[in-house]
Formats: sequence, C-alpha cells, structure tokens
Amino acid sequence: MLALAILLTASLAPAQPLYEQLRIVAPAAPGGGWDQTARVMQQVLQRAGIAATPVVENIAGAAGTIGLARFIGAERGNGDALLVSGLIMLGGIVTHDAPVTLADVVPIARLTGEYEVLTVPTASPFSTLDDLMRAFAERPESISWGGGSAGGSDQILAGLIAAAVGVAPRRVNYIAFSGGGEALSAILGGQVSVGINGLAEFAPQIEAGTVRVLAISSAERLPGLDAPTLREQGVDIEFENWRSVVAPPGISAADRQRLERAIETMVRTSEWRDLLARYRWLDRYLAGDAFAQFAVSEEQRVRDILRALGTGADGAARSATEPYPLFVLAGLAIFGTAALITTLRARRRVQPPAARRAPWRSVALIGVGVASNLVLAEPAGFLLASALLFWFVARAFDERHPLRDAAFAVGISVSAYVLFTYALQLPLPAGVTAGWL
Amino acid sequence: MSTFAALGNGFASALTLTNLMWALLGTTLGTAIGVLPGIGPALTVAVLLPITFNLDPISAFIMFGGIYYGAMYGGSTTSILLNTPGETGAIATAIDGHQMARQGRGAAALTTAALGSFVAGTLATLGLALFAPVLCGVALRFGPAEYFALAALAFCAVTALLGASLARGLFSLFLGLALGLVGIDPLTGSARFSFGITQLLDGIDVVILVIGLFAVGETLYQAWRHGRDELDAVRLSTFTGMNRDEWRRSWRPWLRGTAIGFPLGILPMGGSVIPTFLSYLTEKRLSAHPEEFGHGAIEGVAGPEAANNAAAAGVLVPLLTLGLPSSATAAILLAAFQQYGLQPGPLLFSARPDLVWTLIASLFIGNAMLLVLNLPLAGVWARVMLLPRPLLFGGVLVLASVGAYSLNRSMLDVSLLYAVGAVGLLMRVFEFPLVPAVLGLVLGPLAEQQFRRAVAISEGDLTVFLTRPLSATLLAAAAAVLLGPWLIRLALAHRTRGLRPR
Repeated sequence: MLALAILLTASLAPAQPLYEQLRIVAPAAPGGGWDQTARVMQQVLQRAGIAATPVVENIAGAAGTIGLARFIGAERGNGDALLVSGLIMLGGIVTHDAPVTLADVVPIARLTGEYEVLTVPTASPFSTLDDLMRAFAERPESISWGGGSAGGSDQILAGLIAAAVGVAPRRVNYIAFSGGGEALSAILGGQVSVGINGLAEFAPQIEAGTVRVLAISSAERLPGLDAPTLREQGVDIEFENWRSVVAPPGISAADRQRLERAIETMVRTSEWRDLLARYRWLDRYLAGDAFAQFAVSEEQRVRDILRALGTGADGAARSATEPYPLFVLAGLAIFGTAALITTLRARRRVQPPAARRAPWRSVALIGVGVASNLVLAEPAGFLLASALLFWFVARAFDERHPLRDAAFAVGISVSAYVLFTYALQLPLPAGVTAGWL
Repeated sequence: MSTFAALGNGFASALTLTNLMWALLGTTLGTAIGVLPGIGPALTVAVLLPITFNLDPISAFIMFGGIYYGAMYGGSTTSILLNTPGETGAIATAIDGHQMARQGRGAAALTTAALGSFVAGTLATLGLALFAPVLCGVALRFGPAEYFALAALAFCAVTALLGASLARGLFSLFLGLALGLVGIDPLTGSARFSFGITQLLDGIDVVILVIGLFAVGETLYQAWRHGRDELDAVRLSTFTGMNRDEWRRSWRPWLRGTAIGFPLGILPMGGSVIPTFLSYLTEKRLSAHPEEFGHGAIEGVAGPEAANNAAAAGVLVPLLTLGLPSSATAAILLAAFQQYGLQPGPLLFSARPDLVWTLIASLFIGNAMLLVLNLPLAGVWARVMLLPRPLLFGGVLVLASVGAYSLNRSMLDVSLLYAVGAVGLLMRVFEFPLVPAVLGLVLGPLAEQQFRRAVAISEGDLTVFLTRPLSATLLAAAAAVLLGPWLIRLALAHRTRGLRPR
C-alpha cells in the first residue's frame, strides 16, 4: 500500500524539473495570506520536483497593487515568474484607482478560496445574526464592523450584506484595521460591534470558544464547525476570498502552457492538498480561460459594491479635506517660517571653521559617488556601482590612499553582494557582472 | 502542574546539546541581521522557514527565538558606534549612545546596552511565563481611544528632544508628520500625497527616513565639517567596561525600562518606538542632570535598550495566548507555527505545553547566551571607532544603500534615501534636531488613524476620549507631562513672590 503510494507520487513528479528557477512574487509582507500562498507553492514545487529552486520575493504594499505594478514593469516577457493575486487585489485596484489592472497580466489559475465569518465576543448582546441585522436595519451607523484593510474582502462582504438586507452600503460603519492581529484584538476586546474576517484567522478563537460565530459565508454548513450560514439565516449571499496566480504580460504561448502545466502538476500532489487542509484553504483550482472569465466577472462585482460603499475615487476627495492633513501642512508652514527666521538671524554661527577652504568639495565628491551609484546600479550591476560609491566616499575623506580605498571598495562590495544574494536570498541587480560570481 | 514545574520541564528539554547549538546559531544570526540596516528578523525568519521545514519544531522555534532577541540586541551596536540605528527600536539608543562612543566610552555604552537587554529580557520573559493570560485580558481593553491617548502621551517625548530652539524642533516634528501623510489613507483606502507614484502608495518607510537622516546625513555632515582634515583619533577610555559610577547610574533605568517596555509590548498595537521613547523621556525627567541628555548620558542608553527588549518579550504574550501577531516578526512567527500545524491561541498552552514551555525556557537560554556572546565583544566592537574614516563612511554608505534597496528591491527607495540624507545634512548644518521628525513619521499616522477609528465607532462623539477611564487617565498623564514642569515653575515663582518682604 505504502509502496504504491510512493510509486504514485513518483510517477506524478516529472523526472526532469520543468524549471531550474521559478520566481514567485508575493505582493505582501511576510506572514500574510499571499505570502503564505507563495511559500506553500515554493515548498510543493520544490518537493514535487517541478522546479529545482523556486524563490519567493516579497513586494509589499497597497493591497498588492504595488507588487502588481512592479511585476508588470519588471518581469515583462519573463516565462519563469508568477505573481500571487486574488480578490483583495481587485479591491485594491478599484479603491486606490491603480493605473494597472489584472487585465494587464496573463491569468494562469485560481488556486484557493477562504470563507469569511461574522463573529462577536461571547459577552456581546447579539446572539444571532437576526439580532444584529435588526439593530443594523434600525440604525445602521450604530453597528461598527471591524475587519481588514479598506476595500478588501472583509469590507466587500460587509457591503454585500448591507445591500442584501436593504440598507444602503454607504451607511455601513466599517472600521478598517491594518493586519489580522489588530482587527482580532479589537473584536476580542469588544471594541467593535461585530468582526468580519477570514475563517482561517478566526478558527482557533472559534474552537476555543472565545468568540461566537454569527454566520459563515459558505453555501452549506462546514463539517466540524458549529456555524450557521448567511443564506440559511435569510441573507442570500455566498462569498469567498479567492487567491490566484498570474504571469507577466508578453510571455509566449509556450511559456504560458509550461506555467499552466507546472501549476496543474502542483495542485495534483498530495502535499498541496495536505497543506491546504493545514491552512484551512479550499481547493478552488480553475485554470485557463475559465479563470480569465471568472476574474472579469469578479472585477465587475467588486467595482459595483465598492462604488456603493463609497470608497475609492470619491473617498480620495473626502480625505484630502480632512482636518488632520490641513493641520499638519499649516504647522509645517508656520514652524518652517519661524525656524527660517531664527536660522537667518543666527546664520554666522553655522559657518564651518575658517581653516576649511572648500567645505562643499567633500560633499560634492560623495554626491558624485551617489549619483553614479543611482545611475549605474541597474544597468551595470550592484558590484560596480557600490564599489564606485565606496571609492568616491573614501576620496571625500582621504587624500593619500586611492589604491587602498579601491581595494576595500571591491572587497566590501563583493562581500555585501555575496551576503545579500546568497545568504539572505535577496538578489541584488547583477547587470554586466552577471556570471562573475 | 504548577508554572515552575512546567518551566523546569521546558528547561530540561531545551537544554540538550543540539538545542543549545540552535540557540547559538539563532542568537548569532539575529545579532548579525540586527546590525544590518533594513534587514529585520521578520525577513530572516521568512527566508529560513522553508529550510527549517524538516527540523523538529522545538529546535526551529529555539532558533527563531534566538534570532528575535538577537536582532533586538544587534540593533543597538550600530546605533551606538555608527549613529545608524539598525531598526526603529534602536533610534532612542543612538541619541546618547553615539555621543558616548564619540567620547571613547563606546564600550561602556555597549555594556550597559547588553546588560540592560539581558535584565529586561529575563524579567520580561519571566513575566511572560507567569502572567501571560492575565495580562492579555488587560491589553484587550485597549481600543482605538486608548491607543490615541497613548500616542498623545508618546508625543510628549518630543519635549525631551526639541533641542535649543522650539521653532526648529517643532518644524522637525511637523516635517515627520507631513511625511507620514504620504500614502494610502488606511481608513478609506484612498491615496493621499502620493503624486501618482505607485510606490509611494505604501507611504515612506521609516527605515528609509532613519537611515537617511542618521547614517547618510551623518556621513555628509562629517564630509562638510571636516572633509579631508586630519582629525585626532577617538581616544578609547582605558577601562573598557562600565565603571562604578556608570553601574550606579544604569541599574534603575534598566528596571524602569523593563517596567515601561513589557506592558507596552503586550498591547496589540506593536512597535518599539513608543516604549523606547517613553523610557528616554522618563529617564530625562527623573535625572538629576537632564542637561547631559543628548551629550552622552548613560541613562539614555540603559533605559531605552531595556525597554526595547522587554517590549520584544511582551509581543510574545498576545502571540502565544491569543494567536495575535502585533509586529511583522510576530506575524511571520505565527506563520511558522502554522507551518508545523500548530495554532497559537487560547488552546496552545493546553494543547502543546511542552512546546510552549520549551520555547519560553529557550528564550531565557538565548538571552543568557546573548550576554555571554556580547559582553566580551563590547570592547572589540568599540574599536570600530578607530577605523580610518574613509573606510568607515564608505562602508556605512554601501550598507545603507543595500539596506534601502532590499526593503522593496527598488532603486526609488535608494534615491529617496539620499534625498532624505541631503535634508539630514541641511538639518545638521542649521542645527535642527533630527529625532522629532522620526517620531512624527511613526506616531502621526498612528494617532490620526486611532483618533478617526475611535470617533467612527462612537458615531462622531468626541467625548469618548474622556468618558473611557483608561483613555482619560492616559490623556491626563500626557497633560501632566506637558504642563507639569511649567505649573511647578509657576507655583514656585508664585511662592517666592509671596515670601518676598514688602
């Protein structure tokens, strides 16, 4: 039996890895859902022998739209790069009015889905979804909904629920928290009326009985989880936060097929299924054109609900006139003027010692080093650029030892390059020096 | 089973030769990455995760614990010697620590940092072992109103850092606040002051500001001020450790730093900036020689360093008892737990007591190991000050550039770094204090968000800050810190006037 199982896995794994190197970009900081997806992929791709050395890169920020923009810009035409994406990125594209969308990348496959839960602390006055909805219908603003970042899956679901029970989504008092920890503590501490979050983050609390689940966004009740669905309680919504992978624009049809084959092989392994179960993710594998169509319809759904919620473009107009930015800018202007006046009065004090003939010469030398570093780092590579930077900085402080400084410049650049690229797995631009080390 | 018996068992399983090796590896690695600007423990653990998958979870967590504590410690070394804080928790240390190093007392500063970290780490880990569940209950009572009040209190630390001119100090603060406006407004999700540059959507990274103002600014300033002049080499003080007077001045700040850092670390808001600066403020206010602060007062190193490490231990309390990650490193540790099929949270202590207590025991061991590693090295590191300046500053700028680049792998960050560095040079030349800008960037967005969250939850009722007892207490404390010295002076003036003979 065991031998058979081993034989089966062995036969599934291609003898020759499809990829020597495969880069998986997680458009989020280490620890979040996208990062975990990327690292699980890394693990499975490597163990199943699909890619010899899969590498995860994190480009965090702005609900993944920064990573998306960089991916489109830097990886165009690269057949060995993947970007983790999903519903939250669609939300980010709409709310931040991003210049790039998922239409700018090549869809490969949807991978996973995660249900959302509505939870309250055990001491909450709301014991069922009905209680909550009654209070919500009566005075929508009195119910504060605590969840993840603005425009993300949590707020989208809050808007969908409001629309389904006949409350204008604009009146949802949604409190966005950054990161799961902050939202979780606000919900456990009863700071908000109800929490709206992914199931995986809340499962341990549910199991321990520290929170009560009012509803889950699945179509059917889940086995082993005592949670009624939204639908069975009269809120006709089914919702999940899906995650997917996409490839850079401009790749060839052959490259695309190869990536699709790698992902298909990956989702068929038993390791992938084990890890999905461990992270409480649902297998939502959907490839090719079916996934592309799905992404288009989801984008429309997200756009509609976020417009109804009043985030995004008109949110921008609102926050520019918030009192706080005006206060800060006014303070900057007032104290800037005051500081300028006092500085001009005390000007003579700050002159460098009279013995110094050219105080700005050394600064200018460093400026030349910095400028050459900025210009050369990407085309010529980190090694040359930072050796040059080091040498110019050393010249700024030193008149006698140009050769010693040059030797140290090369030594330090090489050690920094080796340390970052190999030990920390943070590749620095190689430029013309690619292949030297 | 009593706590102590459980902890004893933890020590029994942590004290194997293999586990000690992992602890040693972790603390060494942690210290090394703490020294590198821009590379934190979060990234290191993330990189190591796939490698450690085949490892026994206990060994892996012992190593991660070592990395975590080691990084907190390593950050202080570059702060003190090079005026380049490796991470935000070490900014407060740089203020007086670097002045001490300039005066040849770098070894003493490093020693008080190491001992303070050890004392704080040990006491806070003990607090973690004994009171974790109780403390979490209190921490959960902190809502947005309380966090706003806490941020307001932390802003008072600015008063200890303003320098000679009020206008210049406040300008520096507002510069930081203005930089903090850049990026997505997290409450609405819309972009502010990002000028259409996608990368600015995420705001300006505080690491860029810190390395730019401190490391790059300092290098440029040294070039401007001294250039190629031959300078007298720093004379290291003959005695490399701490003298009797420095011991006497250090031990109270260590304990106070622990008392400030640990509870603030538990709060799920995270971050080491508030505890370290509140400790700095406390020490300056309690000191008999407040005028020494900013010119090499050892209390200004001892307190914040202890607060930093105590806060790092505090972060583990909500992580282990609630499964609540309150810092980037805690988030990746949570992911590491999940990789092993473990779920930190209310059930972890009862489901896997062996793992929890071994982890806690190994934190004690790692802490002791850090002390053993770093005390003898203090004298060695202090010799960095003797390096020829061209090599020292060349190395600083290369490391600063790589650190900035590796944050997002983008040359835009490196350009931003040098732009900030140029501003740092001008601020030094015209004698603007630098630290208020950093505080503004860290605390401004925090205060704004929590204020708006609190008001949104209360449906626009501004009295919420005063009707909630915890928030009202914190605001009263802030008012006392701000107005206290002025009121005392007023009262004294009044009394002397009253006593004056007619």
